[in-house]
Amino acid sequence: MTKIKRHRGWGHLVTVPVAWAIVAANVLMIVWIVLSSLKSTREMALHPWSWPKHFIWSNYRTAWVSAQFGAGVGNSLLLIVGSGLACILLAAPAAYALSRFRVRSSGVHTALFVLGLGIPAQTMFIPLYVAFDRVGLVDSVWGLMLIYTGAGIPYALFLLTAFFRSLPVELEEAAALDGAGPGYTFWRIMLPLARSGLITIFVLQAIGHWGETFFALVMLHTKTTLSLSLYNFTQTMQYTGSRYSVLFAGLVILIAPLLVLYIVLGRRIIEGISAGYSK
Amino acid sequence: MASAIVVGSTTEDGRRPVGPGRRHSPFHRARRRMFVPFVYPALAVYMLIMVAPTLFTLWLSLNRWAGAGPMQWAGLHNYTAMFRDPVFRTSFVNTFWIVVGVGAAVFAIAFGMTILLQDMAGRRFARAVVFFPSLVPGIAISIMWGYLFNPDGLVNTLLADVGVHSHPEWLAQDNMFKVILIGMTWLSSGVYTVIFMAAVDRIPPELYQAAEIEGASAFQRFRYVTFPLMKDVVSVCSVLWCVGALKTFEFLLVFSAESGALPPTNIWNFAMYSYAEAFNPDGTADYGIAAACGVIVLLLTGLLMVLARRVLRRDADTY
Repeated sequence: MTKIKRHRGWGHLVTVPVAWAIVAANVLMIVWIVLSSLKSTREMALHPWSWPKHFIWSNYRTAWVSAQFGAGVGNSLLLIVGSGLACILLAAPAAYALSRFRVRSSGVHTALFVLGLGIPAQTMFIPLYVAFDRVGLVDSVWGLMLIYTGAGIPYALFLLTAFFRSLPVELEEAAALDGAGPGYTFWRIMLPLARSGLITIFVLQAIGHWGETFFALVMLHTKTTLSLSLYNFTQTMQYTGSRYSVLFAGLVILIAPLLVLYIVLGRRIIEGISAGYSK
Repeated sequence: MASAIVVGSTTEDGRRPVGPGRRHSPFHRARRRMFVPFVYPALAVYMLIMVAPTLFTLWLSLNRWAGAGPMQWAGLHNYTAMFRDPVFRTSFVNTFWIVVGVGAAVFAIAFGMTILLQDMAGRRFARAVVFFPSLVPGIAISIMWGYLFNPDGLVNTLLADVGVHSHPEWLAQDNMFKVILIGMTWLSSGVYTVIFMAAVDRIPPELYQAAEIEGASAFQRFRYVTFPLMKDVVSVCSVLWCVGALKTFEFLLVFSAESGALPPTNIWNFAMYSYAEAFNPDGTADYGIAAACGVIVLLLTGLLMVLARRVLRRDADTY
């Protein structure tokens, strides 16, 4: 893309510092959270801007063990990996068939899936709770995983359909000439080609489910996820007094993996999210 | 990026016209036989987790039920009872504020940032930084927000440092919801900034050159080139914003006043109302009313989606 020099007025002298100030505020916020998690709660309140006097790493141990963030991380990881893989395994073949097989009812089926994008959690949670209660899936990580999987299908299918459409037809025809059936063609040729799309979807869903709160709160009672641990800890602070430094250690445990993922895969994440809006 | 030429129109899946013979070739026949095994596993899970519960909720909203025992037909009673409930009306107004008020602020900020960043050096970095907060789960942002506005939180410390000692009580009944609205604005602005920037990047530079030659000012360039060509993206974004904003839940949840309880009713929205009717720790479950509230959210979502489709179809400016 050719860059053209535009005439710049005086306005630029104002807008550029404003823009950088906003950027700096965002960066400082992250740094401030991390530094606060290494102070004592008292120091956090008295010297919010200072460098920590001593690094209190034990905040993290307290958070991990006694505030149950460790258990939360374990369950959240299990949930995002399990539901992410299951969702892709289900949605990818469906998206492929719907975008490529030229079956007359493809349009109706696709529309049925896309409708799901507009179904809010509030219209689903009571029947799901009642039904899962009867079959023993309440307070079970597997039950929650099933919900995340099902609720992720419309979005995954929506993005993957567009992705499969962009792949060339000639490959499938060549595979067919070599005697490959549709199943073989899909699993061995088309799916590997769609790898980058699949990774994007997996990452986007993982980010979404890492801090999911509504269904977790409805479905789990004794088990915990990372967001539930955070929530429960804010609730116990009403009795035990403020332990903000431990809470902030919990925040860092929640945010740090996202930050690392973002630094490694930032462009993919940004493009994946904006792609959904411009098609 | 270079391949995005036409926004708002989908390209046909086939590159070549499909002749009558091609549909019936063994190649296509073999694939059509695989349609059900490919599509129906996903369809089954989707129907089970999303569609069936939604249909059941529609039915439930017309009945009285506490989760056990027989259901009692109630007709539209749940709906009329709900609209008479002052808490529901507060939830309605609050939901409106979140969807429309925060939405307007988010879009204004995103536009502002798009203009600010349009040809700034280091814009990729700036964009990446501004985007990050929207990846962070709402519950984390709201916990931090609550801390900042605590009576001895950072905001008050800062104000004291610059000599302001008479500040409002941020988290008192009347102010809490406003503080929450501001927090939600900050949480969401990043995504839309990034999407708007991507849309601006797709506008061909020739249009700006032409405007330049005609002597258009910076404002005129925005008004007559940038804005009209972003209309599609903006309308898609506004639907997705509404759909997302209607579901806002955890940002409110964290602001509960006492342990094990829900937040004060004056900050409830539809999602909180629905949850509370079903699972309120100190009340009896009323699944019928909770379901009715869920149906209202569903109807509003559907209405918004239909509206947006119509807007989209009417003016599809392509470039």
